[in-house]
Amino acid sequence: MRLKVLVSSVLVAALALLVGLAQGTLPPNPYEVPVGIGEGDWQNLEVGTYGGALVIDQNDNPKTFNYHVAQETTSTYPMSRTLAGLIDLDPVTHEIVPALAESWEISDDKLEITFHLRQDVYWSDGEKFTAEDVAFTFNDVVFNEDVETDYRDVLTVAGKLPKLEVIDEYTVKFSTEVPFRPFLRQIGGVIYPEHILADEVHKLNPDVPAGNFNSAWGVDTPPEELVGLGPFNVAKFITDQVLLLERNPNYWAADPEGNQLPYLDEVKYLITRDRNVSLLKFRNGELDVLGPRPEDIPILTAEAEEKDFSVEVKMDQPNYGTTYLAINQDAPDEVLRQVFREVKFRQAVAYAMDKDTMINNIYMGMAVPQWGPISIPSPFYKEEWQGVQCVAKYEYDLEKANALLDELGYVDTDGDGIRNVNFGDGRNIEFNLTTNIGNTVRVDFCNLIVDDLKKIGLKVNFKPIKFNALVSQLLGAKYDMVVIGFTGSDEPYSGRNVYASDGGLHFWHYSAAEDPYDYEKRIDELFDLSVMTYDDDEARTYFCEFQKLFTEHADLLFLVQQVFLSAVYNNLQNTEGFSAFAATRGFGNVLWKLDPGVVGPRR
Amino acid sequence: MTSFIIRRVLYFIPTLIIISLVSFLILQLQPGNFVTRYKFNPRFSKEQIAQIEHRYGLDKPAWMRYVIWMKGIFTEGDFGYSFETKQPVFKMLFKGRLFWTLVVSLSTMIFSYLLAIPIGIYSSTHQYSFGDHVYTVLGFLGLSIPNFFLALVLLWLLVAVFNVGSLGLGIGGLFDSEYIDAAWSWGKLGNFLWHLWPVVLVVGTSTMAGTIRYMRAMMLDQLGQQYVQTARSKGLKDRAVIWKHTARNALNPIISGFGLAFPFLMEGSLIAAIVFSLPMVELQYWESLLRQDTYVTASGLTFFAFLLLFGNLLADLLLAWTDPRIRYD
Repeated sequence: MRLKVLVSSVLVAALALLVGLAQGTLPPNPYEVPVGIGEGDWQNLEVGTYGGALVIDQNDNPKTFNYHVAQETTSTYPMSRTLAGLIDLDPVTHEIVPALAESWEISDDKLEITFHLRQDVYWSDGEKFTAEDVAFTFNDVVFNEDVETDYRDVLTVAGKLPKLEVIDEYTVKFSTEVPFRPFLRQIGGVIYPEHILADEVHKLNPDVPAGNFNSAWGVDTPPEELVGLGPFNVAKFITDQVLLLERNPNYWAADPEGNQLPYLDEVKYLITRDRNVSLLKFRNGELDVLGPRPEDIPILTAEAEEKDFSVEVKMDQPNYGTTYLAINQDAPDEVLRQVFREVKFRQAVAYAMDKDTMINNIYMGMAVPQWGPISIPSPFYKEEWQGVQCVAKYEYDLEKANALLDELGYVDTDGDGIRNVNFGDGRNIEFNLTTNIGNTVRVDFCNLIVDDLKKIGLKVNFKPIKFNALVSQLLGAKYDMVVIGFTGSDEPYSGRNVYASDGGLHFWHYSAAEDPYDYEKRIDELFDLSVMTYDDDEARTYFCEFQKLFTEHADLLFLVQQVFLSAVYNNLQNTEGFSAFAATRGFGNVLWKLDPGVVGPRR
Repeated sequence: MTSFIIRRVLYFIPTLIIISLVSFLILQLQPGNFVTRYKFNPRFSKEQIAQIEHRYGLDKPAWMRYVIWMKGIFTEGDFGYSFETKQPVFKMLFKGRLFWTLVVSLSTMIFSYLLAIPIGIYSSTHQYSFGDHVYTVLGFLGLSIPNFFLALVLLWLLVAVFNVGSLGLGIGGLFDSEYIDAAWSWGKLGNFLWHLWPVVLVVGTSTMAGTIRYMRAMMLDQLGQQYVQTARSKGLKDRAVIWKHTARNALNPIISGFGLAFPFLMEGSLIAAIVFSLPMVELQYWESLLRQDTYVTASGLTFFAFLLLFGNLLADLLLAWTDPRIRYD
């Protein structure tokens, strides 16, 4: 099979050469990288040499090799190295770059996008990649109700899925009923091999039961059936021990000198559950790369020079997630509900959040304050945009907090140090705060918040509970205040289900679905507007207004976000592009080793 | 004897049904279900979550799911599948883990008994001596130092103090990364033993204290018996009295202890599995429990209960074999 591939690649190259000669031009390189190493934003990267294994850790097994069905990063991260999508996002610039599609056009009415596919791409088993694979992936898998995937809902526009049409062997056309800007950014979901997986789909093969596709490409699948278009292939999976990827000899990308990528022969994911042990394994020279915790940084920095690795704390690169304090405006208790619906009350709470202490105590200084709902690394996050301040910042200020509460008339009338409401029974303002019990960082946040709010005369009872119990409380609006977070992403529209007044996760004000505030109606409009344009700057204007309205009303009080931390043995090259974003995109195809025989510092 | 065994095995059936019922229902007391975590993922619509719940049967009441599960077991021998990996439950629990769990548990047990039994005998023959106190204290230290802590300290010592990395040796897991997928060789075996000893030490020391105390108490009990006096008065050597007569009698409770140890053999030690990153059955079981992967946990619990019953039966038979006074009719 491999020989056949080689032969056909040679044929293609020879043909290209002939055509090139006939037209009197240089032969086109059969391979091409989306962005050239050593140019533009990639200028610090170098052309590498072949060989070696990258050894990294992962805290759990992959649960499936079926990328679109997978729900955990321990499955999706490794699999994203073995598959490819129509487009890709540049790990350095975040821009949309060609991948399996070498170009695309958007129609004037913005309702049709035509992708032109690369014509010289082969699956890792030697079959040719064509438009049929793309049609299969979307029409029969992602858009198929029988398949459990969270990718389908992301591509749903105004309740409808886009339509995909195969124009010819190397051209596909998507059409939507309304313009949908995030479409391009999100259409890069990995493509599946039709020749391997079509038989697993119930609607194409009625012999397999409904729902069968969800168990296709399970962790038991023989590696040779895991056919992909990514830089690596799955070579072996040994439960609880290692997931081994090996170089895909048919990978379609190459560096500017025409060397086929990737440089590395293997990637080994060592399953290591305990993060203390991951740290020890890195220090012991068994891992090439480590994603350290803030508390690991001092010991790593002390050893870095002696052991020949580098430690990076990128203070200008916060991670994607968001962590926030949510105040339930539909709290079950009537008095608290009235208090929580006061914008000034929420602002007072915001002013009382001592973010510096959070950064220093929880993250040892390796975090930055977060002010708005959009992930800070997202290209759509702007603190200021075209002269407008996009986020209302509530810098720690107890005087302002106290003044706001005084203004509302919530003063301590019975001298017990706790403010009282100025209506009804005039009781103390006392409420519950919760989070999920296993998350130590969130528990730490809560403990600090209890202290912070005590300083402004509010009594908080902190009761952490199990995650599933917490989710039921949130979705049932049966809580007072909660500290929780989302993973965040580049595209703010993916938060529509959270921020739109009728969103399923609008859990701090579910009653907005029937009776939204005016500014919530405007936020709904802004989300709709933000997708109607393909002009990112126009979208930024809408998202700026969204963040401004949202933070001025202090609906969710964002806390702080850890910055990107990494430790890498110096033997590994081209790691300059490591970032929170690159970590989600996979960066493996340009990494290489000065001494391929070495893992960490060891031979 | 045969009728005794048949009777005991028949008792298994109602016991296991009750255990499965109780375990299944206790699992339902946890709030939420496997799909609950999907509900906090902004990328999932409510409709799709409802669909998934329906497919997994999670929209049905607990008793109905129990009946369906039982029906599958009795009619097709089908214990259900894992929501998480879609594998059959026992494959999910045991594949790639059972062998290593048995190897590690057996090594640990052998280590623990080989040390504990002689120490117990020594302690009983040298009651209240300095050595007795030293061994007792050591035994209890092993018992009282939390496994995870001892494991981390041990690994830290290897890395930060002894710098084993400079000798090309790794820590944690069963092998260094270059050996994991390699074929068996002397090098691989050596590497395995290098990774095994810290586990055996950590888990073994935590179970030793109990065995030492058992052995010591039983020995003291036996040494006071008249047959020991008789043997000594006949001029038998001390060594023969202790090892041939007393120790053999004192071993009985340890042998019945094997019955309880049977499930442990197949489960392994959770904490060691987490800290040392070992493929152990109990680790997967624990994770399935956390994720509310109902059929894996309910089937697992029932299976371990079965092992306990089976182990007890085995211990009874073993006792009858070692102790001529015991007969089952």
